[in-house]
Amino acid sequence: MLGRIFTPSLIYATIRSATPILYAALCASITQQANILNIGTEGIMLMGAFFGVAVSYLTGSWLLAVLVAMASGAAMAMIIAVGHIKYQADNCAIGMGVNLFAVAMTKFLLNSVLGKNGTFTDPNLAGIPKLHFGFLSGDGFLNTVLNDWSITEWFVIALVLLISFLFYKTAWGLRLRAVGRMQQAAQTAGINVNSMKYQAILIAGLIGGLAGAHLSLGYSKMFTESMTNGRGFMGVAAMYFGAANPLLTAVGCLVFGLADSVGARLQPFGVPSQVILLMPYVVTVTVLAISLIIDKKRRDARKSSLVSAGVK
Amino acid sequence: MKRFSGSLKGVLRILLILLMAMGVGALIILLIGENPLEAYGALLRGAFNGKRNFGTTLANFTPLLLTSFAFAIASKAGAFNVGVEGEVFLGGIVAAWIGINVHAPAAVLIPLCFLGAALVGALWAFLPGALKAYWNVNEVCVTILMNYVAQFITSYLVSGPMSAGKANAQSDYVQVTLTQFMKPSSVNTGLFVAIVIAAVMIWMLSRTSFGYKVRMVGTNAAFAEYTGISPRRVLIQAMMVSGAIGGVAGCIEVLGVHGYFLNNFATGLGSNGMLAALIVKCDLRTVPIIALFLGVLKSGAMGMQQSTGVPKSIVDTITALFIIFATMETLFSFNRANRRQKRGNPDSKEVKK
Amino acid sequence: MNSPIIEMRSIVKNFGDVKAVRGASFDLRQGEIHSLIGENGAGKSTMMKLLYGMYDRDGGDISVGGAQMGRITPKLAIEKGVGMVHQEFMLVPELTVLENIILGFEPRKGMVLDLPKARAMVQRYIDQYDMDVQMNKRVNQISVGEAQRVEIIKILSRGANVLILDEPTAVLTPQEASHLFEILENLRRDGKSIVFISHRLNEVMEISDRVTVMRRGETIGTLSRGEWDYGKLARMMIGREVFLNVDKKASEPGKPVLQVEHLWTSGEKEISKIRDLSMEVRAGEIVGIAGIDGNGQSELIEAITGLRRVEKGRILLDGTDVTNGSPEAVRRAGLAHIPEDRNLRGLNRSMSIEDNMVATKLREFTKGGMMDRSAIRRYAEELVQRYDVRPGNPQMPTSSLSGGNAQKVVVAREVEMGAKLLVASQPTRGVDIGAIESIEAILEEVKAQGVAVLLVSADLREILSLSDRILVMYEGRITGSMPVDEANENTLGILMMGGSLEGKEEAR
Repeated sequence: MLGRIFTPSLIYATIRSATPILYAALCASITQQANILNIGTEGIMLMGAFFGVAVSYLTGSWLLAVLVAMASGAAMAMIIAVGHIKYQADNCAIGMGVNLFAVAMTKFLLNSVLGKNGTFTDPNLAGIPKLHFGFLSGDGFLNTVLNDWSITEWFVIALVLLISFLFYKTAWGLRLRAVGRMQQAAQTAGINVNSMKYQAILIAGLIGGLAGAHLSLGYSKMFTESMTNGRGFMGVAAMYFGAANPLLTAVGCLVFGLADSVGARLQPFGVPSQVILLMPYVVTVTVLAISLIIDKKRRDARKSSLVSAGVK
Repeated sequence: MKRFSGSLKGVLRILLILLMAMGVGALIILLIGENPLEAYGALLRGAFNGKRNFGTTLANFTPLLLTSFAFAIASKAGAFNVGVEGEVFLGGIVAAWIGINVHAPAAVLIPLCFLGAALVGALWAFLPGALKAYWNVNEVCVTILMNYVAQFITSYLVSGPMSAGKANAQSDYVQVTLTQFMKPSSVNTGLFVAIVIAAVMIWMLSRTSFGYKVRMVGTNAAFAEYTGISPRRVLIQAMMVSGAIGGVAGCIEVLGVHGYFLNNFATGLGSNGMLAALIVKCDLRTVPIIALFLGVLKSGAMGMQQSTGVPKSIVDTITALFIIFATMETLFSFNRANRRQKRGNPDSKEVKK
Repeated sequence: MNSPIIEMRSIVKNFGDVKAVRGASFDLRQGEIHSLIGENGAGKSTMMKLLYGMYDRDGGDISVGGAQMGRITPKLAIEKGVGMVHQEFMLVPELTVLENIILGFEPRKGMVLDLPKARAMVQRYIDQYDMDVQMNKRVNQISVGEAQRVEIIKILSRGANVLILDEPTAVLTPQEASHLFEILENLRRDGKSIVFISHRLNEVMEISDRVTVMRRGETIGTLSRGEWDYGKLARMMIGREVFLNVDKKASEPGKPVLQVEHLWTSGEKEISKIRDLSMEVRAGEIVGIAGIDGNGQSELIEAITGLRRVEKGRILLDGTDVTNGSPEAVRRAGLAHIPEDRNLRGLNRSMSIEDNMVATKLREFTKGGMMDRSAIRRYAEELVQRYDVRPGNPQMPTSSLSGGNAQKVVVAREVEMGAKLLVASQPTRGVDIGAIESIEAILEEVKAQGVAVLLVSADLREILSLSDRILVMYEGRITGSMPVDEANENTLGILMMGGSLEGKEEAR
């Protein structure tokens, strides 16, 4: 049984499952660096997923679809930004508001623009292309593992590195981290705190929209009501797991992706489908809880008088 | 007097925000080529016209009242419990299991169903409560992910072990039901249970020492701890009360509305309750009004969709806009001092630290 | 002399109904140290925060270098060469010293930080003004004195000609303060202009060229060196003669009430971890703990009051072992506690005065799980009167009280516990002078009733005037213990720095 589950193709299956969550996690990480918990990730993503499919169907261009999806994500993010920064809305409250808005709005648009209820799919839908490297086809293992990834699955790796670089090597990143950790210090250093927050939320929105477009055009080729299914929140959980550090966050996403793809392989063994479906959620909650428990233990240990300074 | 004018401003604010949300909604309706006035008219008729429609409004109001109170109670202790929906599901399934499998007179069985539902809801809420209290694990994340788990568990049960073997995934009929008193609508005596629970919660929060502790922990946990209250215990207790109320809502839906456990019956009940509570910042005395309003919208939406070409999802859109505008604290706050505070009142900054 | 580079005329600033600054004026000349003095709440800090653009002013003119200024932001102030070292340091604890210094003015290549260049720049200031800092340490790992030097370098590196220092010595030992004064002298010699905010007259008279006195939001007057003496400045500050020395009655301490034996507890910083600390407080005495903030005083208090885990050792309260007891258990054993942070632990600012008054006596005011509202009201009304809390309506939220009146609510609540041990941590921090007088008198009275009092204060005057016995804390240990008549500011200062009194100081 284990032999049938842990095959080379599990590697790609894991990455495939992890990518949408990873985009969401990056969306949440950027705002988290500015100390804004992005509960609205799910809604931003769902909006992106819808506009991706709609534009792809109407124009036939996947690239245009992705760009519009990103713009729609940014628009949703700006609702959060204006509400939170200008009108002092509570993060969680406005985030949940945006999530519910996205659910309702996409349902409405699905009905009135695409004329469907529930699910939309169409043969003319232009998906995000998959990359096939001819020179890898010869090698069975490499072919299974590396070939036929969609462009956005490669791109997410670049994005993780890019965002790490942005956070830790650039002036913008230093300012962002200062804003998130001690707003007043940043303010007295002449940094426009609100402007930094707007920028962070805007970039998060673009990435969140991309997360959605990848979900509906790369991961699958359709739109379903509420199709994000908690992936935005898994992203937030991964962000907690990685303490908003993009590389560590990516590790968290891979764990969730693994749980998902292993689960999918249990079906032939008679495991009920609902149990398989709930596994990623259970794993996410467990990993989130354990990582924060360990984190707290470590912090407590650091504060302990019984350690360090060579005293025992 | 001052207090009165304060709450008047609050009402005015909510009304303005509602108008704004409906205005945006009207715009969207215009965009799809329909008449917004007609649509809103149909909405009202759908909610109030005739015994059936009004009864349906009340039937919608019942679970919303409970889920909104469930959310609000947790929120008073400082927890953002998005998991009410999961508690409704689990309360429903436990009530259904007891109602099907335990053989006892109705006078015993009905309370037993409620008790079981409340208990499982409380236990389900214990977990995110404890995780937050002890390790500061974000409860929004945990509760929402647990909603999926709860939904899949019940879905598994009614399509597997507890299945009635029908086309729809559902359980067998329960032996006892709550009386429906405005047929053909499904409004039932559960409505009174909900109202009593709401009243008890309002009383509890303002009058009892437990309520005092909850408010204390929700507004300043460090102070509460210092005075000898255990913020962790109170937070977990408030979450469990919240979960129990959610469970009761599930029980009422099963015993009063359906008579069996219908797969996915609670979808949206939790989030709508959360909306109602958030719109008025969890002020328990006004939450019922908003819950009723959302009940009106929900039953009216059906009528609107049937008599005009406007899909009912527009109503959810408007409600979502309503909540988005409502969370913006300083929008229409009419409070100049409040706005001025944004920039540099030294004392208010101290408090935040 | 030369013309002023800063001129502030008829400045007005209100916070809601509070008039923080009402028509005050101030000017600063090139190359002078100009002190701005006044009591807490006189408007000194507010005045300078207006100059630095932290708040918008409601009225008045400000000119910098002869140019009239409209709305000022910190960014604009920095551009104009004005820099400010805040009372609470504006440093991000999780970032390194270097990152903090360059924040907002990062030397870069393209988008990327140019750290070598930044390092070289900081080194220049270190050399020029003899301000030793460790660039690669995170700010939460360095001492307060070093953090202050980081702040000064930060400001200088932004091209500041005008340095505003808001109560810079409040967190320093006398010795550290004199090091700071040397740095300030160097800066003045370099032509920098310095605004020095303080309420400590001795140091003000030592370093200033001119002094401006503020009281209740107004400027009372400006004196030049030679025109002042202690009494004159004090009268200008307070508006009347004040002697804060409480009449101390000789104490006859009874049996030990609090015994701390070989205590080890965790700490927020390395130097605030408590390691093997023992002490006791007896009935009818006040034991004062002196020390620079952050040397474990808060941790010690939290361990005693049940708010922090004890890792090793024992705490006895009136003979009962309360080690790792819950806060409630410790209170039952006889503790009352005036906490150091009034806004965080001392009060629930969103609740009413009466709800705050009974918070530690909940049991007494509940019957069968219900709050006894009328009894609560009667009780609160009585306390509000007895402790002279103004405004005296118990249903008002505590958020509407001034610092002094808010603190009176805390003191009233805790003193009325009728406890055997009263822990008072920074009981007069940030309150007006009238409230200081009454709070200190109350502590004396409590002691006279035979209660054991443990006092922690950053204010050496308060420690010296109230305590019967003084303990000095340094890096989580007690480095000195003496009866009050053997202590003075100098000896305490040396101990607070980790020095010893046997001739050689400076153990670090």
